[in-house]
Amino acid sequence: MLNRIAALIKKEFLAIWKDPRSRMIIIVPPILQLLIFANALTMEMKNIDMVVLDRSGTVESRELISEFDNSRWFRKIFYAHNEQDVRHYIETQKVQLALEINNDFASGIKRGKPVSVQLIVDGRQTNAAGIIGGYASQVVSAYSSEISPAKGASINFVVRNWFNPNLEYRWYLLCSTIAILALVTTLMLTALSIARERELGTFDQLIVSPLTPFEILAGKTVPPLIISVLLTLFMILMSIIFFKLPFKGSIFWLLISTVIALFSIVGVGLFISSLCKTQQQAILGAFTFQMPAVLLSGFISPVEDMPALVQYLTYANPVKFFMIITKGIIFKGMQPADIISNLIALLLIAFITLSAAGWMFKRKLD
Amino acid sequence: MQISNIKIIKALVKKEFYQIIRDPSSILIAFVIPLLLLVIYRFGINLDTVKVTMGIKNDDPAAEIQTLVKSFGHSEYIKSFVYEDKDLMYEDLVRSKLRGMVIIPNNFSVGLSRSQPADLLVITDGSETNLANYAQSYPQFIANQWLASSKYKYDLKPPLITPELRYWYNQDINSHYFIMPGSIAITTTLIGILLTALVIAREWERGTMEALLSTRVKRIHIVTGKYIPYFILGMLSMIFSLFVCIAVFKIPFNGSLAAVLAVGSLFLFTCIGVGLLISTNLKDQFLASQTALAVGFMPALMLSGLMFPINSMPLGFQWFTHIIPTRYFVQFILSEFLAGTVWEIVYVNSVFLLVFGGLLFMTVYKKTGLRLEDKC
Amino acid sequence: MNTVEIKNLTKIFDDVPAVDNLSLNIKKGEITGLIGADGAGKTTLMRLITGLMIADSGEISTLGLNPAADKAKLNPKIGYMPQKFGLYEDLTVIENLNFYADLKNTAHDFKKMLEFTDLDKFQHRLAGKLSGGMKQKLGLACALLGTPDFLVLDEPSVGVDPISRRELMKLVKEYLNEGMSVLWSTAYLDEAHSFDTAVVLDRGKVIFEGRPFSLGATSKAFEAEIIKLMGGYKKEESLIAKSVTVQDYGLEFTVEACNLVKKYGDFYAVKDNTFCIKKGEIFGLLGPNGAGKSTSFKMMCGLSAPTQGTARIMGTDILAQPSKARSHLGYMAQKFSLYEKLTVGQNLEFFAGVYGLAGKAKEERINGSIQVFGLEEYVDRKSGELPLGYKQRLSLACALIHNPPVLFLDEPTSGVDVLTRMDFWNHITSLAAKGVTILITTHFMDEAEFCDRISLFYRGEAIAVGTPDELKRKAHADTMEETFVNLIRSQSK
Repeated sequence: MLNRIAALIKKEFLAIWKDPRSRMIIIVPPILQLLIFANALTMEMKNIDMVVLDRSGTVESRELISEFDNSRWFRKIFYAHNEQDVRHYIETQKVQLALEINNDFASGIKRGKPVSVQLIVDGRQTNAAGIIGGYASQVVSAYSSEISPAKGASINFVVRNWFNPNLEYRWYLLCSTIAILALVTTLMLTALSIARERELGTFDQLIVSPLTPFEILAGKTVPPLIISVLLTLFMILMSIIFFKLPFKGSIFWLLISTVIALFSIVGVGLFISSLCKTQQQAILGAFTFQMPAVLLSGFISPVEDMPALVQYLTYANPVKFFMIITKGIIFKGMQPADIISNLIALLLIAFITLSAAGWMFKRKLD
Repeated sequence: MQISNIKIIKALVKKEFYQIIRDPSSILIAFVIPLLLLVIYRFGINLDTVKVTMGIKNDDPAAEIQTLVKSFGHSEYIKSFVYEDKDLMYEDLVRSKLRGMVIIPNNFSVGLSRSQPADLLVITDGSETNLANYAQSYPQFIANQWLASSKYKYDLKPPLITPELRYWYNQDINSHYFIMPGSIAITTTLIGILLTALVIAREWERGTMEALLSTRVKRIHIVTGKYIPYFILGMLSMIFSLFVCIAVFKIPFNGSLAAVLAVGSLFLFTCIGVGLLISTNLKDQFLASQTALAVGFMPALMLSGLMFPINSMPLGFQWFTHIIPTRYFVQFILSEFLAGTVWEIVYVNSVFLLVFGGLLFMTVYKKTGLRLEDKC
Repeated sequence: MNTVEIKNLTKIFDDVPAVDNLSLNIKKGEITGLIGADGAGKTTLMRLITGLMIADSGEISTLGLNPAADKAKLNPKIGYMPQKFGLYEDLTVIENLNFYADLKNTAHDFKKMLEFTDLDKFQHRLAGKLSGGMKQKLGLACALLGTPDFLVLDEPSVGVDPISRRELMKLVKEYLNEGMSVLWSTAYLDEAHSFDTAVVLDRGKVIFEGRPFSLGATSKAFEAEIIKLMGGYKKEESLIAKSVTVQDYGLEFTVEACNLVKKYGDFYAVKDNTFCIKKGEIFGLLGPNGAGKSTSFKMMCGLSAPTQGTARIMGTDILAQPSKARSHLGYMAQKFSLYEKLTVGQNLEFFAGVYGLAGKAKEERINGSIQVFGLEEYVDRKSGELPLGYKQRLSLACALIHNPPVLFLDEPTSGVDVLTRMDFWNHITSLAAKGVTILITTHFMDEAEFCDRISLFYRGEAIAVGTPDELKRKAHADTMEETFVNLIRSQSK
């Protein structure tokens, strides 16, 4: 039996690696995307352009404006002459923020009478808008306490960010992106493997051989698994070397977890493949799984925040567990007991999907 | 001559439609995936009122401080768990059961009653960088609020300058209003690029291209015969998504449908160009689909400005986003939904899409061979 | 005027000439047959004539036009049917016809055409669900739309049964009366004998051009002469058979089909089929396309689950112990279905491994196969790039790699030239003589003669079983082809 599986494994390797174009398409895009995304993407807002309507035109108002100018978030400052100007700047998205200072600004401050300034944020880029609003308020408040320091009881917040002291968004992004790219590659490798053999007629040849469904599955599982494990480990290594991703955990557990997590994704891929007649169906089928899997993995919004029903659904999502474990091991040095509880869930997913795929082989013989 | 041109194109389009209808996977991608994504965005994902799970450890025995612990418990922003054992709390943070911790030192009330700044320790799980931001700011907000209403408040005075923050076009900065129109841009990209990347490759793989080329079909017929059906399918899918967004999920729509459909068709025209270009060059479904995902889809998702701000990218990448058609449509559709028709935005984005789409059409036209390549 | 005039035409792929300084005229109003081994340049020549490819040098004139320069003017006058018929499998019969009619700017009046091709009952069936014979007729119907002056058919009869082939020929001949010229490539020499002109290609060159009957009065004689032209066939001892040793299991019947039934809804694809094959016997399954022989074949090797009944191979039930039963079985599929991206050596290694060979035994076996099957030259070539004849050898080599006592061959010789086929059958009969049991399906009636016993399928039932001579007697016929036609016709009345 082992001989037969070994023969199948060898053949699968050859089939994937033989064609230089297919080799390229497996390796290059994930790595390139990792590099691009790690360099380009951040949730921090930089280079914010703003417009100012300074009705006060005093030293005080100019001081407030220069506070904006000096902060690291804001780039260009335009000056408007009237309300209409402000509206135009925002409407055409030349700026994301407007600051309006009333003419009683300076006199109020001098008399120690509380005054207000208007901050208008373009709400169309909603996720950015909240952050920009926060930054702008901070600048104003900081200026306010600078010119009139508060006295009396106050809370001094001592903030510590464990595992990622400077909240480097890039580290977070790297871990999540590696999981997503591993998912995409593994799924495509496996989803097409059976569908392609069906389309080309070689699957019959396999069925007629003494290979049992279990052996076929084993042979179809190992090569994509090895390729994607290597690719994933390579991406992690690259992140550690080039992006200084801190590595706190054990390499042993990282290896085990990567293998098991990708094993469960292989299971999903083979299950999709076993359902499909053509390559097109397999490609689109894999895609249909992959988009929701990424969205509901906790990458975009935390799982514990989702409606109860959706939270149950995420138990079937290998990406979710994969992200918890990689982040846990890389950043936090997660304990084996905690790792194992996540791995059990992944093994369960693998077991169910692979059994279903094996069962589909038999059924598909019409 | 004119009439027979139309007749040939009509026949090609009709044929393509039969193929679309008979393959469940094209329906899947045109209607099921868009709907699925909209439902997930609507019900599954919440970007606004994130409720952060936090652990609280109170070392201060003063009775007044109990009210602070209670304020954490009552807050709508955090879900708090009170711990007696610090180590257990630390472990739960490592396990991702907690996203952050608040530790109240034993001399906290002493400092406050002396009108001195008192230290409050806030620890976050930095591995969840997004959440860590919330885990930092929510406890600060809650504690300050508590302070203002507590017995230590007498020394506080209101700040001199109050920022009055307003969000235009989306007052409550409800992220559904933003992510769902954005999702339309993403799914339209998907149909335009991924589906069409497969269709010419398929004709070569199945040998029907040879039969086509032996008839009086011209290059322009083949190209338009592929553009038109996927254009119609894509527009139907877009209209379906718009309907779901506006009528079913009640996303406010302040713009004009005509403008959305007009710019939408330019966008689709461009995307189909990208897909067909991949398809004519690769002639192999596996390679075509992988290329479509890597070249067309992932950049559209990550670099179009929908998920991540373009302004924050390094300059080189900011330029790079200009060759991603989805970038233009995302900007347009968000503005159209929330701010209504702003001519300048419509006009700028349309010109870019038109130029792109036109160039792609010409390239596809040039690349479409009328002869079999030299391979037997 | 000639329909096609070719002078010194050359077309080179990767330094190998597919068409080599070839000159040829194709006469108007005739059927010209293009005969040659796979890779002789038939398809390339047709593509050059229709303007689908451009020649490297030489002159070519089709219907008085230059196909390279005037492709647009030429195309409406040509009806071309590529290999695999060029049909959209996910469109129905009528949709395919409508589509091609629109492209060719003719009326949607298919009544005559549908009656003619017997497709009227299947108008709304998807082309992909038609049998081979019906696909072929539909492909022809599409090519005939718009009454072209010149019909070009690339291997239209591959994988099609004799009755359908006859009908196709009749169809084309009727259209010929309207002054049309036909170019028809084929591997069937009996078919070529009935053409007006035969052109035999070998390595891109014309080695014979003329009236088939001038070469041989009967199709048998014609075949013999063609074989001579192609270099002649010398029967040698089959090394393949020599290398095979069959264990004696002491079974009288090595392959048994027991009451096999396959039902799709209310439709019986196979009705209660039972037969037993003795050790060393060649058992042929014959029948028109869609008669149920393929389905029976699939049930026999476990590719399709029977509705009722079962099959036994070397006494092992294929349903109860599939893996064990299949380990006795060598299988060769209808179309080439080995891994095209892998090399010859890798394919052999894979199948050796799958059938449980390992270590030294495996290595010896693979090396032996390479030698015996004459694959030395090709060991490191991708199997997809092999000439058809070698592909077929490789398929057989893979099927035999584990020394199976039973061999299942599903139309193994479709589209293969006559020399390769003769060589192939030499091996098959020698293998049988060594005690290998063989179950085979074929559409070549001359091949049926080599079978020890034949089961003739029609509408899901075996309508006649016996030796070739018994069947001939029963049908009062001299040749197997006549036997086939007579028996089917008597049954359908």
